[in-house]
Amino acid sequence: MIRRKTLNECIQELKQDENIVNWHEIPPVPAAAVPLPDDLHQGLAAALRKKGIPELYTHQLSTFEAVRRGEDVTAVTPTASGKTLCYNLPVLQEIAEDPSARALYLFPTKALSQDQLSELTDMIDHMELNVKSFTYDGDTPSNVRQLVRKAGNIVITNPDMLHSAILPHHTKWISLFENLKYIVIDELHTYRGVFGSHVGNVIRRLKRLCAYYGSSPTFICTSATIANPQELAAMLTGRQMTLIDNNGAPRGRRHLAFYNPPVVHKELNIRRSPVKVVNELAASFLEEKIQTIVFARSRVRVEIILSHLQELIKDEYTKRSIRGYRGGYLPKQRRDIEQSLRSGETIGVVSTNALELGVDIGQLQVCVMTGYPGSIASSWQQAGRAGRRQEESLVVMVAGSSPLDQYVFSHPEYFFEAPPESARLNKDNLIILADHLKCAAYELPFSRGSGFDDLPAEDTEELLEYLVESRVIHERSSTWYWMNDAFPAHNISLRSAAQENVVIIDQSVPGESRVIGEMDTFSAMTLLHEEAIYLHEGVQHQVEELDWEEKKAYVREVEVDYYTDANLAVRLSVLEVDREKQMAEASVQYGDVMVSAMATIFKKIKLESFENVGSGPIHLPEQELHTNALMLEFTEELFGSLGEDDIEQVLLGASHVLQYIASVHVMCDRSDLHSVPEVKAPHNQLPTIFLYDRYPGGIGLADRLYHDADTVLQKAASYIAGCPCSHGCPSCTGMAEAELAVKDWTIYLLEAAGGKVTK
Amino acid sequence: MSLKKKLARMKTHLQEEPAPAPAPENLPDVSPLEKYGFVPFYLDETPSLRRRTVYEVSRAFRERMERVVENWKEAPDHPLKHEQAVEQLMFFDTETTGLSTGAGTFIFLIGYARLTGDGLEVTQHFLEGPEKEAPFLGGFLDDFQASDVIVSYNGKSFDWPQVKSRHQFLRRELPRLPESGHIDLLHAARRFWKHELPSCRLAVIEEHVLRKPRTNDTPGALAPLLYFDYMETGKTEELTGIFDHHDQDVRTLMELYVLLSEKVLQLDTLRSADHAAAAHWWEKAGSPAHAEDHWRQAFEADPRSSYRLRYAMMLQKRKKKQEALALLLPCLQDRSPSPEVMDELAKLLEHEEKDSERALRAVQRGLDAAPDSRTMAKLRKRADRLQKKTGGLGL
Repeated sequence: MIRRKTLNECIQELKQDENIVNWHEIPPVPAAAVPLPDDLHQGLAAALRKKGIPELYTHQLSTFEAVRRGEDVTAVTPTASGKTLCYNLPVLQEIAEDPSARALYLFPTKALSQDQLSELTDMIDHMELNVKSFTYDGDTPSNVRQLVRKAGNIVITNPDMLHSAILPHHTKWISLFENLKYIVIDELHTYRGVFGSHVGNVIRRLKRLCAYYGSSPTFICTSATIANPQELAAMLTGRQMTLIDNNGAPRGRRHLAFYNPPVVHKELNIRRSPVKVVNELAASFLEEKIQTIVFARSRVRVEIILSHLQELIKDEYTKRSIRGYRGGYLPKQRRDIEQSLRSGETIGVVSTNALELGVDIGQLQVCVMTGYPGSIASSWQQAGRAGRRQEESLVVMVAGSSPLDQYVFSHPEYFFEAPPESARLNKDNLIILADHLKCAAYELPFSRGSGFDDLPAEDTEELLEYLVESRVIHERSSTWYWMNDAFPAHNISLRSAAQENVVIIDQSVPGESRVIGEMDTFSAMTLLHEEAIYLHEGVQHQVEELDWEEKKAYVREVEVDYYTDANLAVRLSVLEVDREKQMAEASVQYGDVMVSAMATIFKKIKLESFENVGSGPIHLPEQELHTNALMLEFTEELFGSLGEDDIEQVLLGASHVLQYIASVHVMCDRSDLHSVPEVKAPHNQLPTIFLYDRYPGGIGLADRLYHDADTVLQKAASYIAGCPCSHGCPSCTGMAEAELAVKDWTIYLLEAAGGKVTK
Repeated sequence: MSLKKKLARMKTHLQEEPAPAPAPENLPDVSPLEKYGFVPFYLDETPSLRRRTVYEVSRAFRERMERVVENWKEAPDHPLKHEQAVEQLMFFDTETTGLSTGAGTFIFLIGYARLTGDGLEVTQHFLEGPEKEAPFLGGFLDDFQASDVIVSYNGKSFDWPQVKSRHQFLRRELPRLPESGHIDLLHAARRFWKHELPSCRLAVIEEHVLRKPRTNDTPGALAPLLYFDYMETGKTEELTGIFDHHDQDVRTLMELYVLLSEKVLQLDTLRSADHAAAAHWWEKAGSPAHAEDHWRQAFEADPRSSYRLRYAMMLQKRKKKQEALALLLPCLQDRSPSPEVMDELAKLLEHEEKDSERALRAVQRGLDAAPDSRTMAKLRKRADRLQKKTGGLGL
């Protein structure tokens, strides 16, 4: 009988691999524990002991004490540090003392709520106290809903449900609002960007209704490690926060390996595809039955890797043993996957960062990342998936050719020493704000002189006046009333600023069409155009018809050996320049822009060789986006005698690297921030690079970049200068062959804009 | 009923005069709505608008209504049952600013019809503006008793929850909502006409069942928009259509209630489908005796239909196995018998008559008649068992 290798043996083997460019070992950390506090309710203390928790970690106690003092708190809780006790303890204590007290738990997804409920129920059972806790989401049967409204001490839900089902129907939830003592916000770090900006406004509405019903709940937030948890929580809730960051949880030994695939084309500095490397690495662990999670950045990659892995070891395992997990799956499918992971039936998972969130999927031993996840915080979140229970674990990050990946791999100290990124949100994004002001007016009339939570009365009134003009509210006796037959919350999705989603309908079985997922319209332009190959659960589907009017994509299962990749053509016009500053020989501006985007063509790319095997046009209407941008404006003199084509090359190079460096800097998804170069920008007729927020109204990214322009330019210049290639490569300037010394020109350009090269 | 309220009610002959309540200072201008019969009345300081209209009622209709209530007194429990005074039935409806049931939908017209000594009285309260919601809703509640029974059309899921929601905003200013009984005629109408009418909207029922198609009606769907227009311009002309529509709705409800009760109580001539609907409903209401009676009549009116089977099953349920057997047995000779009937018959033959051979023949005929998969499975199972009993006589 062949003995399977242990994880440790695999680790020792991997260490010898010549492609490992950096091996980092994090020693185990013992627990910092303290006795249960004296004033802890007896039932609660007894329950903890029965569950085998005789003492608390330091951060759990600190949170408990701060909440008891009535402070709003934000606790920084890395993966597997027992964060749920941070909020469950003070909440259960309060309910034990006052059975009428109620708490609202917000989790970013439904799956997380389900997990939380089972954990909470277990605790309550041990307490022998009559505490009623319920999840309230789209799946809650209507006969249970009534009970939840009237009697749930703890209501566990998600922001979407709060937004569209609870707040607009608050008259059915009076006893919750009147007695609301605590609002728990778990996974705080996920509330950034568009989603965070929406949820910040949902919380404004929630606080407004609480005030109406006479309650003033305390906020308890928990966050993964980011640079500004306290600031983010304050932005989200409009409250000053007490920060708790004395994590006392123990940690097992963890190995972090940086795997840089070998260069296969020396001239062009092209490396072997990380997807292939990940396939092999993951297969080598799965063959030893070592539970492994593979992260990939995009949905398409998830599906490609999934089908490879399933193919590779299909003889040995049933299909269920390796599964995909990503945002586009419907909730039921996702819960099924989570369940089978916990039971051990599934040993391998390929996921997008949907699984970054603290869904409890039990113990995984190895985590393999396809490319740098885009942010330090996100990397640690994904790495936390391995070795949750104090055992040895391995995290392998496989670099792609992108500037970002190569930057991180050539500067591992950046990864291990730099402070993690900060998360941003912009509650006052006008489009998002106006939408939620409508919802707020629907929920409760506004009287003159009152603000919208922390939005001053003056601004609130101005916006309300606008809504009067658009005939949705009506002012009478100094009060604004909702006067429209619409239900505003239904038209507003918290997950995208672009409000409308394309529904994906599978019509493989005649007469049994079914909805298998949905996607925002902007992504749909490039992923669901006609003839696109859309992958779902590893199964290829071809888009047969995209009904853009109705926002429906009809797909059918196919079996082909290629995937599709679409191009997006973008035009920019500047509406207004709000701020401007001179940086060395360039000018940096911040203002409003209109982006017009149109999907142009798509390419068919062979799965095996990544060759281009065909292409076709895309006929979709242009989409417009009104947003904020940073503009980096150069003088023509800087380029000397270069012709327009050459100038374009140089700008492309600089914009390529800037987009990557900037998105790292502001901690956003690469697709949240776009960069576009213009040789003669329409507003100034000068060579200009635009960096814009990809959401209507902006979410504060360009704003932040304007503020930190010097740092960003410096990082960009240093990165290119440090790239080992000679004339520019896909990893830095984004281009391989060039007669022009694009690399030198790009460095020159960035330096001219004040970005000093540092080593 | 308090004397004051009684008095207030009797006073209402056709159009009401302005209430002689102590008017507050700075009496507001006479509302332009007065020309449509709305007059301000005062509960507290703020006036609200109300219109009372009394229609003449034919002697025949009054007799029908009285007969219905008399008959309900004798009948077992049923969702339509009402055995108190006819006056306590409030035929109720609202017009709202939208169809969603959330906090931002206002009721702007609320009212009801009653049959009083004077005739058919329609009371309508109109919301002049959202700031006057307290006197508006308060006025409605003022002549409302806990012993009154609401009769509505879809009011259980829409209108009444909406009243509750609005009441929550004003709960500190208004008395509690009475826990009145509630009869929802939409459910009743669906039982009788779901299969034959394109929809069970009240207007459709009016046209096809009551044979009173409306002319010049303002569709209910327009109501919110007309009200928003009024909010903006203050012009009231367009509102009259809604007032009349609402007035017509509540009066129709009264007629519909009488008609439905007559069907369920067999005071009217019933078609076989009506009997079937009534039978189903009695079955659900827990009165098998009434259900049996209706199934019998449904069957007698239409013997070739599935009613025979339903009637037989009801007979069995009531332990009248021999009658059930006698009812189904002739079907054995049918040229193409119903598989379901054959299954039921086989069951009776096997267990009541202990006649396995004839039971087997029934099964055989059932199987020959191309049953659906469920009946097929049942028949096959029965066939297997019977074959064992009869010693393997082949099929």
